[in-house]
Amino acid sequence: MTAAKVVFDPFSEEFFNSPYDIYRRLREEAPVYYNEEYDFYALSRHEDVAAAYKDFETYSSAYGLDLATVRSDEPIPAKMIIIMDPPEHRQMRSLVNKVFTPRAIEALRPMVTATIDRFLSEVNPDQFDVVEDFAALFPVEVITQMLGVPEEYRQKVRQWVDISLHREPGQIDMSEEGMQAVGEQMGLYYQLIQERRANPQDDMFSRLIAAEVTREDGQKQKLDDFEIAGFATLLGGAGAETVTKLVGNAAVTFARFPDQWQKILDDRSKIPAAVEELLRYEAPNQYNVRRSMRDVELHGVTIPAGKPVFLLTGSANRDPEAFTDADKFDIERDRTEAQNLGFGYGVHSCLGAALARMESAIALGRLLDFMPRYEVIWEGCKRVAAQNVAGWTNVPVRVLR
Amino acid sequence: MTQKIVVDFGLCEANGVCMGILPEVFDLDDQDYLHVLQDEVTPEIEQQVKEAVRQCPRQAISIREE
Repeated sequence: MTAAKVVFDPFSEEFFNSPYDIYRRLREEAPVYYNEEYDFYALSRHEDVAAAYKDFETYSSAYGLDLATVRSDEPIPAKMIIIMDPPEHRQMRSLVNKVFTPRAIEALRPMVTATIDRFLSEVNPDQFDVVEDFAALFPVEVITQMLGVPEEYRQKVRQWVDISLHREPGQIDMSEEGMQAVGEQMGLYYQLIQERRANPQDDMFSRLIAAEVTREDGQKQKLDDFEIAGFATLLGGAGAETVTKLVGNAAVTFARFPDQWQKILDDRSKIPAAVEELLRYEAPNQYNVRRSMRDVELHGVTIPAGKPVFLLTGSANRDPEAFTDADKFDIERDRTEAQNLGFGYGVHSCLGAALARMESAIALGRLLDFMPRYEVIWEGCKRVAAQNVAGWTNVPVRVLR
Repeated sequence: MTQKIVVDFGLCEANGVCMGILPEVFDLDDQDYLHVLQDEVTPEIEQQVKEAVRQCPRQAISIREE
């Protein structure tokens, strides 16, 4: 034995800063990794991660979506589709999924474009922060508008989400401050639900208020305030965080691979493929945590029932067994080689994928117009330290003329 | 024995990936409803159907032996 055993600590500075070396060693040396310190398992190979996403009976979502919640080993009281298993999941998701189909999302293009333009028109080309001054601001505006949050509260939602997801190195559970942010957000949503009950509008709050579900006892029932607020918290959070990260990652990645930037400058029809490659190469969501519901035998290791299992999509998307030259950022790669797991896979696959794709593609197009040549001010870049989202909190750039 | 295309419409969310692969078989209408125009998996389309099964982000398509 020469090399030290690979360690994957999802709360370490090392992981936040550079997960890909850790992923490679996991895939090669410990495809069913066990972390003794925190008592969890992790799957990192594309084949294994994809299979686990499909097998929701073995890998349950109902115990939570991060280590803190899953290891507490109690089903979560909160009502959110991301932490439900079928059949309940199927019914609840069907209440909102019509709003997010590619066709339905396409109808929002003018609103999304106007929102993006509004924020980009306010930045200073001599120096601005792609994340703080742009990518952090518009996605939350779009999703909260869809939900029906009044304008004056929309950026507040983003701040609450940031606080609740933030983790210091070594911190597993949500901070006191994070809990308070969640509380304030729920307070706002309860208030809005009351207002919409009295006075319905054309928004998602009103839709959810009108919706009916069949409960376990066969009775048809309306959603209660807690369930509606759960939806809003989830959709607001997911919609606020992820595209922000993707666009920040784009500014950094294209600065590192200027030949790829040149390709989309020359041919805008390659933008959608570039978005897909960004999702593969450096996805905003690096993993989800599930709970094993039975003993699982894999690669000579037994994952006992009742353990948190990390499904490392960020690693699967860099698996050379699945993708040729997996560590190469290539917007023209053959995308049919393997499933891109950036949006997950199966019953929990990203509900907002079409919206995320559209927002990202429009934002990239506008950045191509605004900064066809730019440089990143590297010393000002700062990575996100958070639960399962990867990216940058700051990416200062200068537009070159 | 024949192979049939089966779509779980409760899972389908009209992403249209299958239609992109095999428009002769998978057709998404303007109400976001997916129509399977030919449910038998013939040798000519077998590879593309398998591709659609694999690439469906919702895992809503399967092939049933009958």
